[in-house]
Amino acid sequence: MTTLNAVEDAMLAASAVMVLLAGALLLYRIWYGPSMLDRAVALDVAAALIIAGVSVKAAQDGDSFYFPVMLVLAFLGFTGSVGIARFIAVRDRPSVRADGREDHR
Amino acid sequence: MSGWAEAADLVGATLLLLGCLQCLLGVIGMLRFPDVLSRSHAATKPQTLGILLVLVGVALRLRHGIDLGTLALIVFFQFLTSPVASHLVARSAYRTGQTGSRGLLRDDLDPQLSPGERPEE
Repeated sequence: MTTLNAVEDAMLAASAVMVLLAGALLLYRIWYGPSMLDRAVALDVAAALIIAGVSVKAAQDGDSFYFPVMLVLAFLGFTGSVGIARFIAVRDRPSVRADGREDHR
Repeated sequence: MSGWAEAADLVGATLLLLGCLQCLLGVIGMLRFPDVLSRSHAATKPQTLGILLVLVGVALRLRHGIDLGTLALIVFFQFLTSPVASHLVARSAYRTGQTGSRGLLRDDLDPQLSPGERPEE
């Protein structure tokens, strides 16, 4: 009984660590881009990661208080990346560098 | 009854672990893939499966009717909106020339988009 509970607590803690690590890695992609569309995709993934993190918290506490937050994120989390893809990235054409590669910055 | 509850708790924790691992693997794929389309591919599919596993895990740990309804709504909206965002990002990436098309063997969309030319019959 207690061993089982300890195993479950360890699994939930490992899940929280994985979500935090994934968020830290995602910050690299948001910071360095290189293009605006990469940041849009990363924004979409960030909403999914927040949903996963709040779920882990809810499973640890046994509490469903934050479920409406997850619902709103699943409902509206795609609007940011849609807005970027539709209205900003069209103006964001890549310039060609001196060595022929395209610079998406 | 208590045995069933303990089994559901354990299975729920396992699914949470698997889902979070899936999310982490998707983000690692986003870091390592070369261009926008492959990054979007690495982002969307593991995230969707990971979110599904995480929400089923939470549903197995909190077993109330209202919570199950909210979680089902979250899964529904996630599956409804994620392809829309992915489609718009891919379309915009193609039309601004960020697809890395030098590795592409054949591009069927290009003749459809260029205005003056007909594709050769």
